Amino acid sequence: MQKGGISNNIRKLRFFRDEMTQQQLAEKAGVTRQTIIAMEQDKYSPSLELAFRIAHIFGVPLEEVFSYHPGDV
Amino acid sequence: MSFQEKNIAVSLSTFTLILGFYLVRVLQLFQTGNFNPTNLFRLWGIIALLAVAGTILVTILTHIAGGIVHNIRTKEDPKIEDIQDERDHIIDLKGTRVAYTFSSIGVALSMLTFVFGQPPLVIFSFLIFFGILAQVAADIWRLTLYRKGF
Repeated sequence: MQKGGISNNIRKLRFFRDEMTQQQLAEKAGVTRQTIIAMEQDKYSPSLELAFRIAHIFGVPLEEVFSYHPGDV
Repeated sequence: MSFQEKNIAVSLSTFTLILGFYLVRVLQLFQTGNFNPTNLFRLWGIIALLAVAGTILVTILTHIAGGIVHNIRTKEDPKIEDIQDERDHIIDLKGTRVAYTFSSIGVALSMLTFVFGQPPLVIFSFLIFFGILAQVAADIWRLTLYRKGF
């Protein structure tokens, strides 16, 4: 069960982007590495703006990065 | 531990020590019969000075010590990640809400001492106590949110 009903594929997407590090992603997204770690562990659901920014960095639509599970809220 | 977490941990340690110091001093004033406005307001000044200057000094020293330890361990220059992002802001706000809650309860309880016929000095000492306690509670809540997520 994902916390807050939102899960993400950030870890997988980083892997497919030549093993992009958490630090690199954090710098591109303008957040701290701890925030990336918290998101990957489903301990933090980002704001809509940050979610779009991350999707933009990976060059994929938002729903490919984040998914919502209404039953898990 | 991130930069923000270190800052909160330092603040928590400092304010816990200040709280302990305050309680001990007030107790001493009571026992020696010196619980008067002059002594209490002097203590208030010391607490304010310790809270501001002490926290800044201890934070700087902690980061310097942390940097030295990091350098010895990894042979790399320490990188300070001192930006505050949206998660840090949210955690900060949630902590502030806890501080407000504790302060409000503290003020209400302090007012209650009037009902029981206590002098205004007792109100002041309670207000200082709950003010420091609110900061400690807020720091604990912030650290908890950083650790367990939200």
